[in-house]
Amino acid sequence: MSVISIRDLTKIYRMGDISVHALRGISLNIRASEFVAVVGPSGSGKSTLMHILGCLDHPTSGQYLLDGRDVSKLNDDELSKVRNRQIGFVFQGFNLLSRTSALENVELPLLYDSGNLTAAERKRRALEALAAVGLDERTEHHPNQLSGGQQQRVAIARALLNAPSIILADEPTGNLDSRTSVEVMEILQDLQAKRGITIVLITHDPQVAEYASRIVTFKDGRIIGDRPNERQRLAVDELANMPEPVEETA
Amino acid sequence: MTVRSSLHISLRALSRNKLQTALTMVGMTIGVATVLTMISVGSGAESAIEDQVKAAGMNLIVITAGNYKVKTDDDYGVIEPSAYLYHRHRREFMLQTAIWDSRQNARFGLIHAEDDPLAVHDHPTARQRLGDSEAGLGAAATLTPGDAEAIGKLRAVQYVSGGVHQNVHVVAGGKRWFTRIHGDDVSLPRIRRAWVFTRGRFYSKGEQKDAKQVVVLGVVASQKLFGDENPVGKTVSIWKQNFEVIGVVGSGSWMVAAAPGDDQFDAVYVPFTTVHKLLNLSKLNDITVTCASSGDVTRVSTAITNLIRLRHSITNEKPDDFTVTSQARKALATGGMRPEMAKAVVGNMAGLERVTLEQLGKTLDRASKTMTALLASIAAVSLLVGGIGIMNIMLLSVTERTREIGIRRAVGARAGDVLQQFLLEAIVLSAVGGLAGVVIGVGVASSISQVVQWSTSISLASIAVSIGVAAAVGIFFGYYPARQASLVLPIESLRYE
Repeated sequence: MSVISIRDLTKIYRMGDISVHALRGISLNIRASEFVAVVGPSGSGKSTLMHILGCLDHPTSGQYLLDGRDVSKLNDDELSKVRNRQIGFVFQGFNLLSRTSALENVELPLLYDSGNLTAAERKRRALEALAAVGLDERTEHHPNQLSGGQQQRVAIARALLNAPSIILADEPTGNLDSRTSVEVMEILQDLQAKRGITIVLITHDPQVAEYASRIVTFKDGRIIGDRPNERQRLAVDELANMPEPVEETA
Repeated sequence: MTVRSSLHISLRALSRNKLQTALTMVGMTIGVATVLTMISVGSGAESAIEDQVKAAGMNLIVITAGNYKVKTDDDYGVIEPSAYLYHRHRREFMLQTAIWDSRQNARFGLIHAEDDPLAVHDHPTARQRLGDSEAGLGAAATLTPGDAEAIGKLRAVQYVSGGVHQNVHVVAGGKRWFTRIHGDDVSLPRIRRAWVFTRGRFYSKGEQKDAKQVVVLGVVASQKLFGDENPVGKTVSIWKQNFEVIGVVGSGSWMVAAAPGDDQFDAVYVPFTTVHKLLNLSKLNDITVTCASSGDVTRVSTAITNLIRLRHSITNEKPDDFTVTSQARKALATGGMRPEMAKAVVGNMAGLERVTLEQLGKTLDRASKTMTALLASIAAVSLLVGGIGIMNIMLLSVTERTREIGIRRAVGARAGDVLQQFLLEAIVLSAVGGLAGVVIGVGVASSISQVVQWSTSISLASIAVSIGVAAAVGIFFGYYPARQASLVLPIESLRYE
């Protein structure tokens, strides 16, 4: 069963007289609980693909079935609900609300959930998600009081909150040093293994792509390679072999 | 998303930038405070004018026993036969009180009061008692307390006071003073709005019912009999009967000066029941009526005429045995204005006799309403500026927080949620600013009335209007930026740096 199924997807940006073909007919199936890396140089259209997969943008043509539902037929409010319930985002720039505590950042998706949760229930679930990413002791810190790795973990906790079936990670390690990158990858691999969450990782770095179980290669708006990854890197093993980190200063 | 959590988000957002929030609110505060102050000053002036108008007797109707024809040019009264009025209901009384009663002034100067022939003969009751044959039809004392009671039940009638009037010698100790005695109803002080009790009080309903021998002195009478002494508690003698002095009444209006010879303050007041009892009378000389609104005077006059004709069983062909005058000389001549002012008004306003006091009242009313509107519209400009300030800040804030909008959209906020959040921010800004403005406006208005002695009036309605306007400004000027925010595409806002 494919969680994501796209057929002949195209995306054309118009900038004045110039049309930019970001996607030129993409077809792709992603099964539940897969860890897929989409790799390619910048400008290859992989970020555009992620925005469309994340219901943040509309394709120019083609079909996109998410859990068997044709997303291109949904209106703006319904797309908001899909983003809220089915998809979790992890961005390169973290995209946390500044001057807002980690806890409140994590709670955010629940505020827009139509199910009426009490404040206490929201807090409980947010704390649970923060604990899952190992940040249960920094819940009241604001983003500027957290390191990059910690911020990204807050973002992952936020993405987890509504128990999404898919996490879309756009260059999640782009702003992180090598050790914290491995830590973030460890969390993502753990989520895929233990919770069966489908993970789509967008990266320009072939090394990072090696953490995925399947690697889709992009170039000039087309898929030029799609292979299972036999030599998947396991972040948990790599962490065990790394020297202990110097204490992070907040 | 619920309004409550939206409000929570809005308040958090506003508290993140306290200085900016405070400055934006100040704009709103000044606007609302100015509007409220201006309205209160304007409507204060309005009610002050209304008060003066009422004090001058603009809403006053006097029903006099008997029917006087206009006799000569020399007659300063406006007294027209009310039969005439009866046949031409809609016609308004003209202000004909053009000539100040110089006789009245002169009479105390030239002739000793006690020898004044006019004082004796010019009054219906006196004529009746003296058997004055000259008085004829007009002299009959025809009005009864029952008439007064019936008038009180008419629509739009505010207060009614029946009165009997005599000229008497009032004796206190060795001093004697010849003056007017008014036997009036307890409601008289409410009719004479310009009255101030310098000492003591007016008689009560109970004292009237029991026909007690209590007396309220006009300031002039008090001055003549007691000098600067406090007469309250002392005893005076009228008709060889002892009366206890319970109060002194003076003028509280700049338009009315107490002077010897005037009808209001060179006079003494006792319950009309006391006069009836002591003199064995049962009729009234006149009934004074006030209308709730000065615009009702003509209508109420007609209603009174019809009512009393009915009560007195006067058939169509026969003339009235009473006279209904609205304000007339009571207002302008004897009780209303300083003589020099009456002269100035008469001398400088051409065609004054064609202007009824009602029209004058309406004109004053219009003028003060125009002033209020003018003040309020000037103030509204500052409210507008405050609103534009809010809009400006909100637009800036939408731009500044494009990324925040994108994040919220990415985690599932609908366009409507974003709209609601930003709209609530604008409303909170203007409502809180507006409330502060109400507090300041009330404070400024009351200090204006204390420091500069202008009368101001703050009504709950004007406060409600101010708050409502503030919230409306918030919605109006907040909607556009909030809509802009909701239209930001999630993908665009996430790319925004």
